[in-house]
Amino acid sequence: MGVFVFLPLVLPLTAWPVARLAEHHLHPRAATWLLSAVAAVLALCSTLCLGLLMVVGTAQLPGNPLPDGWSDPEVRAAVPYDEIAGRIAIPALLAVLLACTGTAWRHLRVRRRAERALSGLPGSPVAVLPDPAPYAYALPGRRDRIVVTTGMLAGLDAGERRALFAHERAHLARRHHRFLLVVQLAARANPFLRPLRTAVVYSTERWADEEAAQAVGSRRTVARAVGKSALISRGSPVPALTHFTEAAGPVPRRVAALLGPAPSPRIWPPAFTAVGLAAWGATAGTTVSALSSANATVTLFFILHAATPM
Amino acid sequence: MTDHRGAGGAVPRRRGQGVLETQVLAALRAAPGPVAAGWVQERLGGDLAYTTVVTILTRLHVKGAVTRERSGRSFQWTAVADEAGLAALRMRRVLDSEADREAVLTSFVSTLSPGDERLLRALLDTTEDAEEGD
Repeated sequence: MGVFVFLPLVLPLTAWPVARLAEHHLHPRAATWLLSAVAAVLALCSTLCLGLLMVVGTAQLPGNPLPDGWSDPEVRAAVPYDEIAGRIAIPALLAVLLACTGTAWRHLRVRRRAERALSGLPGSPVAVLPDPAPYAYALPGRRDRIVVTTGMLAGLDAGERRALFAHERAHLARRHHRFLLVVQLAARANPFLRPLRTAVVYSTERWADEEAAQAVGSRRTVARAVGKSALISRGSPVPALTHFTEAAGPVPRRVAALLGPAPSPRIWPPAFTAVGLAAWGATAGTTVSALSSANATVTLFFILHAATPM
Repeated sequence: MTDHRGAGGAVPRRRGQGVLETQVLAALRAAPGPVAAGWVQERLGGDLAYTTVVTILTRLHVKGAVTRERSGRSFQWTAVADEAGLAALRMRRVLDSEADREAVLTSFVSTLSPGDERLLRALLDTTEDAEEGD
């Protein structure tokens, strides 16, 4: 299988330009689906590849429980730099497994705790909490809920409140938390996939903004709702760690996008444009990644099968 | 029986805690003024042990939903929040303690940098100019 076994570990780099272009040129719904699917496939391939390297690496360790034949020279010849790669793969795979378990566990814990916090309230789909701190959340669960504080509602007029509720309802109806969980796990599995996570976080917001704009029938109202709530929330005690960049943050970009023309509902961009090429590039990178992982898995399977004493 | 720290209270399983807190708070809200934990226990029909009631009152006090003042060897309790207020206090605790809540709960807006704020004000001004122009 040669160096191809390492390809799935670095191919996620091909997704970076795609994340940027998809954000600007694709409909947010298409961007969310495309980027989440690409992230999931690349993460699975990368983890599978780590697993294969780990098998070869572990087989060299004295006293390992694997069959003796697995440390034969033929097996080790299948992986370039087998000693170093095998040794690095073991802690790397453990780190990936721990990080992914941690992420999934925190995800469930936040949802459970938030649901429990609201357990004394009647089961209406919208919970209005008397709190001067302005915030609004979509809370997926056995009973989907929108949580909004009086502090947030006080800063918005009637149309803007409708826009806010429509936005949160879109998050719940389109199950956006699942896309977010997928890309978070992918970013844990391979750090090169982090730009895809950021891009999907943004595109789910844009998707919900566009659905809200359709629901209330005015893009400008949604733009004002987003802008005004960001301005009233700005004093809230949220740690702001990402503000060292000069580029405009996600909120002004969302407002600017809403003030511009509606995105084209076309799912796939035409081939001979920058976006089209990027989309095809992502597809090609993902396919190559999947094929080389499959190739490496199958090859190693047969080598190990041949090396196993019957 | 003045174990107001509630360490000995038979605390029911975690799922029911939120519901119990709401029940105790509702009972306390029906009180004519500051009352003792025993009054709340009676009001609840005696289903709960005295220590459980004290434990739950103490927890509500930590969350800021009730106040208490010492009278003799025990406390007199007063409700300061209603059910929705209690939910708000609980939600704040969840949000404050979960650093990466944004990763799970999709917030309506994320935080702004100073540059974002200027840009956003400029963008909102254009929408208002357009409104006036209509």
